[in-house]
Amino acid sequence: MAKVTKEQVYDAIRTVIDPEVGFNLVDLGLIYDVDIDEENNVHVKMTLSTRGCPLHQMMQQWVKEAVEKIPGVKDVTVEIVWDPPWNISMASDVVKKALGAQ
Amino acid sequence: MFNISKEFAPPFKLIAPFFISGVLFYLIATGALLFYPASFDFLDLSIAGWVHLFLLGYVMMVIFGAMAQLVPVVLETGHFSVDWFYVIFPLLLFGTILLVLGFWFDPILISFGGILVLASMIIFAIDVFLTIRKTELKSITVQAVKISNIFLLIGILSGFLMALTLSGFWSVNIEDVIKAHVFAVLGGYVMITIYGISLVLLPMFGLAHGFYERPVHIALRLMVGSVVLVLIGAFLGWSIFRVMGYILAFLSTGAYLYQIFLIYKARIRKERDIWSKSMFAGYGFFIYGIVLGFIYLLSGGSLPNILHTSAWSLFVFFAFLINGHLYKIIPFLVWFHRFSALVGKQKVPMLHEMIPKKQAEYQFWFSLAGSVLVALGLIFENDILLKSGASFLFAGALFLVVSTRWMLQYRSENG
Repeated sequence: MAKVTKEQVYDAIRTVIDPEVGFNLVDLGLIYDVDIDEENNVHVKMTLSTRGCPLHQMMQQWVKEAVEKIPGVKDVTVEIVWDPPWNISMASDVVKKALGAQ
Repeated sequence: MFNISKEFAPPFKLIAPFFISGVLFYLIATGALLFYPASFDFLDLSIAGWVHLFLLGYVMMVIFGAMAQLVPVVLETGHFSVDWFYVIFPLLLFGTILLVLGFWFDPILISFGGILVLASMIIFAIDVFLTIRKTELKSITVQAVKISNIFLLIGILSGFLMALTLSGFWSVNIEDVIKAHVFAVLGGYVMITIYGISLVLLPMFGLAHGFYERPVHIALRLMVGSVVLVLIGAFLGWSIFRVMGYILAFLSTGAYLYQIFLIYKARIRKERDIWSKSMFAGYGFFIYGIVLGFIYLLSGGSLPNILHTSAWSLFVFFAFLINGHLYKIIPFLVWFHRFSALVGKQKVPMLHEMIPKKQAEYQFWFSLAGSVLVALGLIFENDILLKSGASFLFAGALFLVVSTRWMLQYRSENG
């Protein structure tokens, strides 16, 4: 069984776009951590740009579905965390520039 | 841990009629302005008809629709009964129509319309209270939603007493009760709702984080004190209480505006989209209205044209705030309903692609020009300025109707 890499997981999550802001969740800096165990079970720790976002549960689901498409992935869990709270410094330079923060 | 489930979201077919009716009432209200003079008396029944057309038909209709969607978001739990909104909508719709027709043509209709509106608002308030009981959150927004609904009930009950009086079934001192009614609804319900909800929506759409929240807490407490003092003053006939209430209201709005400034300073998204332009225009009119209201208070109530322009500026504030948010809320609802299930399976549109940008721009500029001209017409008591302003506003409202229809019917090549 080929070992799934973090890069593969991040690339998969890059296909998930926040429809309001128009950028993928990785570039937005919403993915805090990816953990892959020996059996290719993937645990994603993510946050959202705003607490109270009505897309909360759907974004979790989109991330799960995107990661599940990677060949060899066994089980995917997505955990939403609020600490540390998201801020623009976590986003990529492209996002910062597009949003007018740079 | 907080969790918004997709099941909490009310169905699209439930919310859309609120927005469609609200926008159509806005169109009718702007068109009706063409038939009004620049100088008038607030106690004139036809003026009361227009005010109810605007506030109930447009402002309340859109607020109720938005709250159907927003209550689960801000309270982080599902409605006690989302199905009640199927009853709230026709009651509010026909109640408003009867009420406005009553003010315009036959006062006997006022109490019939009033009882339908009363029923719709009681059902709405009960749903909100019972939903609040399900949440463990103690945020400022939750407090605001709770308090504003209490004032909504007081406002509508006082209005109903006046409706019964105008129809000959009851007898209250209209001049006193109207002050309580206006303040309970505008200050107690609409403004406190705006205080609470703007603390969710403005940071969400502007991506503002880490700002100081104390000013809005102060604003909320001051507004509660203000409305309570005005209510006591109105019902007991003690003018000193009313004046103290008005002063607290000014202080409250000042604190709220400072809060908005802090959110504005902390925002990350700096693009000038239709939403942000509408917020600038709305809050600009709000400040203008507050200044004029203060001048009116200092004048000892001797400048009715100043009071009329102040009230108009407040209505313009509501209009820009509401219309600006329609360009966020409607695309989101349509997207959620039509495209969310397709994510990851095929290309779905971004929310900004679901806004008709040109029509939205025309709507904004026509509405802005119209609002300024009407304000000038009222302050100089000039009918030509007022009517030309109303014409621009009507054109802006037509673009809003077209934009709303476009957004509601949006389908991408894939969807």
